[in-house]
Amino acid sequence: MTTRQEVLVPDIGDFDAVEIVEVMVAVGDNVAAEDSLITLETDKAAMDVPAPIAGKVLEMSVSLGDKVSEGSLILVLEAAEVVEAAPAEISATATPAVATGADPVASPVAESSSQSGPDTKSVRTTTPTALPPINEAGFAIAHASPSIRKFARELGVDLSRVQGSGPKQRIVPEDIKAFVKAIMTGQLAAASGPALPEVPVVDFAKFGAVEEKPLGRIQKISGPRLHASWVNLPHVTQNDEADITDMEAQRQALKARAAEKGVKLTPLAFAIRACVQALEEFPVFNTSMGPDNKTLIWKQYTHIGFAADTPNGLVVPVIRDADKKDVFELAAALADLSGRAREGKLKVEEMQGGTFTVSSLGGIGGTAFTPIINAPEVAILGMPRSKMQPVWNGEEFVPRLIQPLCLSYDHRVIDGATGVRFTTYLAARLGDAEGLIGRRRDD
Amino acid sequence: MTDVIEVKVPDIGDFTDVEVIEVHVKAGDEVAAEDSLITLETEKAAMDVPVPSAGRVEEIFISVGDKVSEGTVIIKLTAADSTVGLDSAAPAEVNTSSQTEVDPKQVAIPPNSYTGKADNETSLLILGAGPGGYTAAFRAADLGMDVTLVERWPSLGGVCLNVGCIPSKALLHAAKVIEEAHEMSEFGVKFAAPEINTIKLRDWKQSVVDRLTGGLAGLAKQRKVKVVQGTGTFLSPQHVRVEGDTGSQVIAFQQCIIAAGSEPAMIPGLPDDPRIIDSSGALELEDMPKRMLVIGGGIIGLEMATVYDALGVQVSVVELTKTLVPGCDPDLLRPLEKRIKGRYEAIYKGVGVTGVAAEKAGLLVSFEGNGAPEPQLYDKVLVAVGRSANGGKIGAELAGVKVSERGIIDVDKQQRTNVPHIFAIGDIVGQPMLAHKATHEGKVAAEVAAGEKSYFDARVIPGVAYTDPEIAWVGVTETEAKAQGLDYGKGAFPWAASGRALSVARDEGVTKIIFDNKTNKIIGCGIVGPNAGELIAEACLAIEMGCDATDIGLTIHPHPTLSETVGMAAEAFEGTLTDLYIPKRKK
Ligand SMILES: Cc1cc2nc3c(=O)[nH]c(=O)nc-3n(C[C@H](O)[C@H](O)[C@H](O)COP(=O)(O)OP(=O)(O)OC[C@H]3O[C@@H](n4cnc5c(N)ncnc54)[C@H](O)[C@@H]3O)c2cc1C
Repeated sequence: MTTRQEVLVPDIGDFDAVEIVEVMVAVGDNVAAEDSLITLETDKAAMDVPAPIAGKVLEMSVSLGDKVSEGSLILVLEAAEVVEAAPAEISATATPAVATGADPVASPVAESSSQSGPDTKSVRTTTPTALPPINEAGFAIAHASPSIRKFARELGVDLSRVQGSGPKQRIVPEDIKAFVKAIMTGQLAAASGPALPEVPVVDFAKFGAVEEKPLGRIQKISGPRLHASWVNLPHVTQNDEADITDMEAQRQALKARAAEKGVKLTPLAFAIRACVQALEEFPVFNTSMGPDNKTLIWKQYTHIGFAADTPNGLVVPVIRDADKKDVFELAAALADLSGRAREGKLKVEEMQGGTFTVSSLGGIGGTAFTPIINAPEVAILGMPRSKMQPVWNGEEFVPRLIQPLCLSYDHRVIDGATGVRFTTYLAARLGDAEGLIGRRRDD
Repeated sequence: MTDVIEVKVPDIGDFTDVEVIEVHVKAGDEVAAEDSLITLETEKAAMDVPVPSAGRVEEIFISVGDKVSEGTVIIKLTAADSTVGLDSAAPAEVNTSSQTEVDPKQVAIPPNSYTGKADNETSLLILGAGPGGYTAAFRAADLGMDVTLVERWPSLGGVCLNVGCIPSKALLHAAKVIEEAHEMSEFGVKFAAPEINTIKLRDWKQSVVDRLTGGLAGLAKQRKVKVVQGTGTFLSPQHVRVEGDTGSQVIAFQQCIIAAGSEPAMIPGLPDDPRIIDSSGALELEDMPKRMLVIGGGIIGLEMATVYDALGVQVSVVELTKTLVPGCDPDLLRPLEKRIKGRYEAIYKGVGVTGVAAEKAGLLVSFEGNGAPEPQLYDKVLVAVGRSANGGKIGAELAGVKVSERGIIDVDKQQRTNVPHIFAIGDIVGQPMLAHKATHEGKVAAEVAAGEKSYFDARVIPGVAYTDPEIAWVGVTETEAKAQGLDYGKGAFPWAASGRALSVARDEGVTKIIFDNKTNKIIGCGIVGPNAGELIAEACLAIEMGCDATDIGLTIHPHPTLSETVGMAAEAFEGTLTDLYIPKRKK
């Protein structure tokens, strides 16, 4: 029997991701115990990693320039003693059909399959990197000769982004070099932007029992969108407060009338009414950035999205033409959409076209938070829980119901003064109970 | 009565190219109205597409992972007989069947795990030593890899060297000499009728093949490529078993390139008779027939017809489609058709063979179609109806490699299969099945396996029919340009105006170049005439280099050569040609 032994990077102190500056062995080499296998270089010193036992190198898992840390797999050795112990068996099983000119040292019987199952580890390590993201359709028509295409592939350059300086805009080697240089020096944005620093991977099981479960479907979908908004939009969150005591009284007073109409008046319906009014006053909150970030698109409609919690995750149904609805109609729309959202029965178009979003966490609690803008919208209103608070009216403290407001906006589109003007105006609208009922403009 | 309706993706809002994340039905399923057919997932939500009415799924056009938009056809549905109505049993049945049975298309093939012993191991195993396989082996060895080349035949070189390109071209050379000698009689140089010794001719052809395959064996040795003779089949994503004459062994590999090529396709139901041959049989020149039928008017069939015709056999060609050499522009085919029409006994186009009966006196072939003859008796029938890829014969499923029903293995631009450390190249990855495509892919795969960043970035692959006259084309054909509605222009130069063509007594040729009207860049070229296959190389280079008509026209071509016709075709497009008078093209 032969044995395979994995050789790992030993304890190298506090260093992580240390570069391999020399590789002394190759697949097929026989090494003696303590022979140097690779040399690592930290910013302090270079050090050799020796072979723990004598044997033959079966697989190399690293190459020059790789970064390794303690525990990284360097190579797989076939222990030498064992090979010598079973020479007869080897020649007996090797069939005579083997290999013209086979090198006897290079072809001993190897039980690389002795562990059950395919040796995926060795596969992964010998598989070269996968395709870099290149616009293949553009690459295939770029004015570039085969040698230039080869050069571009070596560097991973997307030829469709390179300007040719040769005759008739032919791409010449200098163009590729200039392109790479421009990216390296930051004059040109790399196709996918500079890579973000990665969150360290932690083996949680080291610290206690864990269970791994896949993300929910909605989480999987919304995650990248939230991330895109967070990294692409400079968020500012303006916190403010609105006195909704009168609004709440109004709501209680209208409950019966609402019940007649078959709707349940929620604070959110009033809040959306107030937002519509604020958007009419500050239409810049109802815009979106043009695709090239050089224009602003002003929408002539007001469709308000609201975050709805469902068993499957958060979704954002959209109330169309919210500006044409009174508070009862808004309440009805809210009830209908959130009901169907919970059942997973929303139609796609009912989640499209929003111009502004409201995220109410009032049912749960909180004092303030930073909602993430539902890009390409430019603002979102977050509403934590309202609270009875003592308010100084000039003479005495009176109990008032105070609603915190958390408005996140895209600072490329909206400046700070406009942001706070919006929340001030919004707070005023929320305080004006009569104005909140709303007459539909078209009646 | 039953109606067949197509069920399409309904209005799904602004979304296009929405991914199918689940398919709930398969062909043969009975569905009730409103049953879910598929689930789509947009960025915002998942939604089910219900079936509008009850019925039976006849055909399903969509599988998991497909991208669909409004109007994409999902299934063909035979509406349930309206008189039957929907009894409660129907939907129940649907449920159970869709739960217990799994659509094979949806399931990734689980690779096998092999736990036995390996007798040998290698970093790169190459399965098949055709032009793709040996090129890959040599390139990988030159890049420092430890390579094992597995080949079932005793000699290297695959179809191309042993029973394809090379032997056929040797025989075509003989055919050409015979024809030219004969034609010279008209011009005052008369030779006696040739005495043809097919045994010697075959030996000479074989000596050409042997010289090349022997050369390959030497090249393999020099590069220390281990050659293992035997038929290889996968045992796992890491192991191949090789069964040779002298025994069997298991080779463990780290990476693999599948280059197992293709085989002649046979028409099912033909009698087992030695007089029915494929291209390999035809190259053997055994029992020269008096009267022969070639089934299939593609390149291989017409090349073999050229040989047998020159050797004095009465040749007929039957082709199922309306044209010979499908895919070739009709104006390029015309000179070939004109020449062979006068020489061959018959050319049947749009005619199918319905049966072949082996009789003592010969093979009785019956036909059908417009212009089909009465059943005819032939001494031999050559079947040249295409080639089928060998993907289904190598145990690929045990390696987890996906193979299509037609034996073809799909690869990416780096020749990788769905299993990242297993590559495939050559005929086995599909059309065009040509040796020069196989060798190019072989190099890409070898370089990628060795860790280089190589891609199949060639823009065009030329095709040549080595008939008399030859036809060669590369890039966009005029037929394709028209069909795709490209804004193209063409420059054509008829060989009747070429001094060299006239001095070799062949004026029927044409050189035609297709240009992009916007950029004036060459995007395609077609040539018919002797040596067209040699001439097309210039167009290949011009396309790869992105030349425009001016570049080609201003390149000085040697005079008098047939290659001048390429420059002149470009000049014809430019309007600078002086060797012909062509009224100015309107712009
Ligand atoms: C009559 C004829 C004429 C042709 N003329 C031309 C031409 O002029 N120009 C041109 O470009 N092309 C021509 N072709 C096509 C050309 O031969 C093929 O495209 C080319 O050979 C494909 O190369 P390949 O490496 O993919 O496979 P192949 O050449 O088919 O080689 C595959 C090899 O794999 C081996 N093999 C298969 N399965 C196994 C297994 N399980 N284990 C071990 N070994 C296996 C086979 O024995 C074979 O040697 C012609 C073909 C024919 C039949």
